[in-house]
Amino acid sequence: MSARKQGDGQPEDGGATAGKRLKIAKFSEDPEKKGLSRRLKDAEISLPIVYGTIAFYLGRKASDGLFVSTVIRSQSHKWTVYVRGATNEDLSAVIKRVVFQLHPSFNNPTRVMEAPPFELSECGWGEFEIAISLFFHPDVCDKQLDLYHHLKLYPEDESGPQSTKKPVVVESYDEIVFPDPSEAFYARVQNNPAVIVPRMPAGFNISAPVAPENTSERERGDTKDHPLSQWFMNFSEADELLKLAAARQQPFMEMIYEN
Amino acid sequence: MDAKDILGLPKNQLPIPQEKKSRPPKEPQRKPDGISREVYALTGGLAPLMPSVDVSQLKRRPPSDEKVTWQWLPFTNSARKDDLQLFHWVRVVNGVPPTGDYAFAKYNKAWTKEETDQLFDLCERFDLRFIVIADRFPSSRTVEELKDRYYSVSRALLSARAPPADITGHPLVKEPYNISQEVERKRALSMVLSQTKQQERKDTEVLAEAKRITESRMAAKGPEESELPAVANIGPDNSQRAITGDAVTPSTAMPSSAIAASSTLMADNASTLASLRMLRVYLRTYALDQMVQAASASAGLRTIKRVEQTLQELGVNLKPKVPTKAVCAEHLELRKEILTLLNLQKQLQYKEAEGTSFQDSPYSETPGTPKRAPRGDQDRPFMPDPLGFGGDRFGKRDQKRKAPGRTSEAAQSPSQSKRPRKMKASDI
Repeated sequence: MSARKQGDGQPEDGGATAGKRLKIAKFSEDPEKKGLSRRLKDAEISLPIVYGTIAFYLGRKASDGLFVSTVIRSQSHKWTVYVRGATNEDLSAVIKRVVFQLHPSFNNPTRVMEAPPFELSECGWGEFEIAISLFFHPDVCDKQLDLYHHLKLYPEDESGPQSTKKPVVVESYDEIVFPDPSEAFYARVQNNPAVIVPRMPAGFNISAPVAPENTSERERGDTKDHPLSQWFMNFSEADELLKLAAARQQPFMEMIYEN
Repeated sequence: MDAKDILGLPKNQLPIPQEKKSRPPKEPQRKPDGISREVYALTGGLAPLMPSVDVSQLKRRPPSDEKVTWQWLPFTNSARKDDLQLFHWVRVVNGVPPTGDYAFAKYNKAWTKEETDQLFDLCERFDLRFIVIADRFPSSRTVEELKDRYYSVSRALLSARAPPADITGHPLVKEPYNISQEVERKRALSMVLSQTKQQERKDTEVLAEAKRITESRMAAKGPEESELPAVANIGPDNSQRAITGDAVTPSTAMPSSAIAASSTLMADNASTLASLRMLRVYLRTYALDQMVQAASASAGLRTIKRVEQTLQELGVNLKPKVPTKAVCAEHLELRKEILTLLNLQKQLQYKEAEGTSFQDSPYSETPGTPKRAPRGDQDRPFMPDPLGFGGDRFGKRDQKRKAPGRTSEAAQSPSQSKRPRKMKASDI
């Protein structure tokens, strides 16, 4: 079994642990290593996230007081692309770094964010697809996950002049699923508000290996009081569940079960 | 004439005098010359634009001044290295046996010294550009043949001139020219080059499909213990229920195909789940997408469109806006239920169509017929049992049916068990 130290960038040995759901790993002295090789079978840890863009129209007189036609000005919009926790909690316990790949016309189109909040702001007038690559901590997953988001600057409703007050917001909700997570990962995030952990049977006890860091020393990683938080969309699971349940109970659907 | 019949056009548009005119010119054309009428008819009955066989040669006989005998004579083959002498029958004309080499010797691909010298001369002149050499070569030899000859001769010379130990590193010796492999490789290459776009597309599709199948198979094989037995536990349970439900019925195609469908559905689910686990990280939306695809694998494009249409009518998003675990599960179940519903409706339509055709025939003898007559609670018109269920069972089910307000279609639904909420499409 190839052992990995926490924080080591070494890729996981594909043959050793990939695809094997080992309840008990080979005995090794280092508790860290043991935590990595033991995995929780038939369980998943999921991380609900929201990613997207918020774009503001800067208006016609925004640059240095000069009147420049926004059609030819290269900075008609200011936008921010980000990945946040669905409940605005700090994602950095799971996500180590986020790489935003912008249109090649941007300077240094590959932007790397090593710390939360994982976001990036830019100016421009073009709409394009942004590739967002999520990199996780070694005990979480050694593979990256790629998301794609189309930057929208111009509102659906084209009537009337653009407002500088109301931005164009496009957000997508999704959940990152980690099947068969390592015990170390589980131990680390079992009390993390950003993460959905499975309920373990009574008696199942893993203590967190490291004491939680002093939050006051770190910069805030959550987005609860983010300057843009007033524009964040609300994703309510309840609405959708209700709709689905109602649909399944439609009278004509009952035909399936009748004689 | 027949074509006109089919098209419904009036026949006999030509007046009689025209018919007479067309007939005489046709007569001499119609009679075949030199071959019997039936044989001529085999060619389609029409004279070809250009005769492939010289008709005058067909009835030719050997000239009578020639005397032909057949003799058992010895012969040698110039293609052979030994002096083997064999015998065969020879056609002798006027006592003169045929001259010339054995007929099949020319097929022996032997290299004469002369040929080899020519080859080497050309190789020198054209700097081993075999394509040009092949073009200039007097007798027709393929590029591969020339290469083979050149390299084997060079190798022979090399090993003759140098001690064997020294030359084992030489490319001529280490990687000898393999003519058959080369021929095959070039053939395959030209085939790939000449593939049409459609073939290319089909190939990539098939390869992707095969890859997906092998991956899911490997994934399904890997996690042995809890997953597959757990899934398999559900599988046999479901099929058990379906089977006992059908025990009394004379089997129709439907239950057996449904059971087959149920096992494939469970297999699809299991393999999709397994392949997802292999990913180590994935998005919930991606997982839902895979499951939806697996569930709709057996459905045609039209059916899938109808499912989506139904979803829209129900006010449900085609892709959930808030894809949590619970929402995705519900969404998947809803889709499967709609699929089942549509399939049942379709089968119902077929059976009803069959039913009405039975009704029309005066000899409608269906298994359910004698037992249906006495039932008085039916005020629907007589319909022969389209689903082939036993009469007993049908009667039993009748009592369980709901109020007469239901339409006849719903009543004829072939679904078997009452509902537990957990029942999935795979049960049908």
